[in-house]
Amino acid sequence: MGRIIGSKTPIDDALAKATGEAIYTGDMKLANMCYGKLILSTIAFGKVKSIDYSEALKIDGVIDVLTYKDFPSDKYNSALRFKDHGIIKSETVVSETVRFVGDRIGVVLAETLEIAEKALKTISVEYEEYTPILDEEEAAVSATNIHEGISNKVATIATGADADKVAELIKSADLIFEDKIKIPMVNQLSIETFSVIGDYRAKKLTIYATTQNTFAIRVLASDVYKMPLNKVVVIQPTLGGAFGGKLEAVTELVAAGASIKVKRPVKIVLSRKESMIASRTRNGATIEVKSGVNKDGTILATDFRILTNTGAYVGSAVNVIGAMSHKLLKAYKYPLRYTGSPVMTNTPIAGAMRGYGSPQAFIGMNLHINRIANELGMDPIEMTMKHLVDKNEVDLLTFGNPELKACVVRGQEMFAWDSKKKEIEEFNNKNKDFTRGIGFGIGAHGAGVYPAHQDCINLLLRLNEDGSFNYWSASHDMGNGSLTAQKMIISEIITTEVADIESTEVNTETCPWNLGDYASRGVFVEGEGALKLALAMKEAILDVAVLKHKVNKEALTLKDKHVYLGNKLLCNFSEIAMYAQKELQKEISVLIDHHSIAGRTSYGAHFAEVEIDKSSGSVKVLDYVAVHDSGTVINRMGIEGQLEGGIQMGLGYALSEKMTFDEKGYLLENNLKKYHLFNSTEMPKIRTDFIETGDNGGPFGAKSISECAVVPVAPTIINAVANAIGKHTTSIPISKEEVLNIINK
Amino acid sequence: MKIQLNTTINDLLVSVEIEQDARLLDVLRDNLGLLGTKEGCGVGECGACTVIINGKTANSCITLAASMEDCDIKTIEYLSKDGELHPMQESFIDNSALQCGFCTPGFVLSGISLLERNPKATTEEIKEGLSGNICRCTGYEQIIKAVEDVRDKKYNKDGASNE
Repeated sequence: MGRIIGSKTPIDDALAKATGEAIYTGDMKLANMCYGKLILSTIAFGKVKSIDYSEALKIDGVIDVLTYKDFPSDKYNSALRFKDHGIIKSETVVSETVRFVGDRIGVVLAETLEIAEKALKTISVEYEEYTPILDEEEAAVSATNIHEGISNKVATIATGADADKVAELIKSADLIFEDKIKIPMVNQLSIETFSVIGDYRAKKLTIYATTQNTFAIRVLASDVYKMPLNKVVVIQPTLGGAFGGKLEAVTELVAAGASIKVKRPVKIVLSRKESMIASRTRNGATIEVKSGVNKDGTILATDFRILTNTGAYVGSAVNVIGAMSHKLLKAYKYPLRYTGSPVMTNTPIAGAMRGYGSPQAFIGMNLHINRIANELGMDPIEMTMKHLVDKNEVDLLTFGNPELKACVVRGQEMFAWDSKKKEIEEFNNKNKDFTRGIGFGIGAHGAGVYPAHQDCINLLLRLNEDGSFNYWSASHDMGNGSLTAQKMIISEIITTEVADIESTEVNTETCPWNLGDYASRGVFVEGEGALKLALAMKEAILDVAVLKHKVNKEALTLKDKHVYLGNKLLCNFSEIAMYAQKELQKEISVLIDHHSIAGRTSYGAHFAEVEIDKSSGSVKVLDYVAVHDSGTVINRMGIEGQLEGGIQMGLGYALSEKMTFDEKGYLLENNLKKYHLFNSTEMPKIRTDFIETGDNGGPFGAKSISECAVVPVAPTIINAVANAIGKHTTSIPISKEEVLNIINK
Repeated sequence: MKIQLNTTINDLLVSVEIEQDARLLDVLRDNLGLLGTKEGCGVGECGACTVIINGKTANSCITLAASMEDCDIKTIEYLSKDGELHPMQESFIDNSALQCGFCTPGFVLSGISLLERNPKATTEEIKEGLSGNICRCTGYEQIIKAVEDVRDKKYNKDGASNE
């Protein structure tokens, strides 16, 4: 590869993070700032009859208590991506009708957080209560609408093969297989909870927020509070993880409205429990999948149906179902029909989470095909491979160059699938207390959002007098290293080191416009923009060198931060900048715009070995292999870390993480003692590899990793558990108790 | 009720007026401006608030500040207070053993603490020593590698660990 492209490069702000000096939103204090504590609904469905906060107002240090009467009643959709984004509006800043436990009713403002917390405890809310609907299947057919005028089943999207043709093919097959799979909601669970500061002064509003979507928050605040866009500033300080959870407006508009009301900066920091119930989740789902299969293992057609549990407001409902609608079609090449509907229930709002619909869809397909293979006595890899897309076989506008089959082949080899099969058989024959199994799964996810909607970014780069560079990119790095990758790409072209390029925080007032950071855009779209920017900077430097040294541009090159004429060193970048300032009376800065004209799909194939303790049912993951087609690898250290992190998240999805509710709609797993995240002792040794034939449309042939990383994990593990216990299972997550149940059946 | 807490934080004697029921985490962050200690869960499960008290790691979110009289408390700020990075911090940077960084101060302190107790820790012992800290970004591989590198370079230049 290049000098820097493909190298192992630490994340650009590692020093600030390793020393604890990085400043996150929750660390910030502004002069005259006060603190807000949200009043959240304690019932799942009903209407607020009265709120008594008279006791709260008597407490020394309480500034005010604001409820729905104090905020605009304008409806918005917190998942908005750009002005005029035509998505259904169902939310208000705070609500009189409450639709889940955790719905926002108001906010207490006080001089300190402790006083606000104390005051909150004295507030009593009286409700008119309705019976909550918690399950998507029930809500889809319920006569009660959670939102007046909007059907609980918000929409239906169907894609893929023709319905009649699929029905006919299934009927004509030797065998018909049907599966039903229920998947609970899960939480993104970034370790940093949600924080915001709203600061309104002199008719200008500044919002500091834990967000992946500054420019969209700016539009929402401008719309709701009727302010010009240039009077709203949204700033993203260091972001402590997001995983999609921080894509939508959560507390931003509350802090903004409260600050407008009390004319002081207002800070709201959510506790872990509040972050779990009152932010966003990954959609729960009910999947019904039916296939017609011939005895030789050929699937003639599949009818794939999914209802997602999208929670209490419309938000991302249709977007997730839409994004999901074509992912299976990018991995499987036989007639497959997809029908999906998001369904609202009285549970926390579902939104974006790493994979955006793909994890649920690929759980469905991988579990289904694994079961068919088992029942036909075939190897699941052999059976799956018969139905996967081939390289260069598909529509080049959105698919690019799928290397899914190459991922499977490489992974099968690394994992030693065939010899492991025999070893496991021997182990299981000899061992009474433990049983082992192996599993396999595939997954796909996009790179960039085009052609769903516009996908563009503007970027700015300045050469300083000493030869260093400043970079303005509204790329919302959340720890995933997108800015590092962009700086590597720039460095490759202008022959600097990553450390020579300093970037700012995302600030809608100082950075050129960008979409939010979702759809794994950071490298494929923003990185390609960075490449264009670097090439423009190179030209700008050479143009000045031509004037300074009276030479032909064609013979000039850049090397080690210097300009060369053939092998002759002409000058360094500092001299270029100084000459431009003194002699040309200008700064050397370049601004480019980039728009993506092709979506691309990234792929992965995963392999796992598990061991089950037959007496307790506990599952231990012994070995794990993941091979991905992310196109060209830009940062080898970054991509490995992203993939390993995705595997941690997926292991939890398979074995421990879930959000379930009692009959009144209370979240049962509402803290980190009950919601179990995998720790270091539970992780297997992970081996990763990448198929790097590359693709076009992205920088140096790169696609994406961040979301695709998590997609194949959960089905790989569930399939391994099924293999170990010798019985089909579709339980997600599969608990010890469930494993014991199946073993003892 | 307010009380006076006299204790040693990062080698400095401090005397600070605190609420009797204040958490150590809040005293560090709000009273003393030591913002490197983070709150991730508030129930002692995630380790983002890890500090070292009298040589042992503790979750400052479930530690009563009033119980810290005459203790020796060290936070992430202690490590580079003289301008130089601790080898563990360097190793975290070199191995990219951090992404969002919110859990990092806790992991760095846990890594140092476990090697001080067990300089020849095996990989399994390192994993065990880090099990009170949760990372949602990295999958732990690069964190474990960072601690292993410090073990090998700082404590065992002859390359001998328990493995």
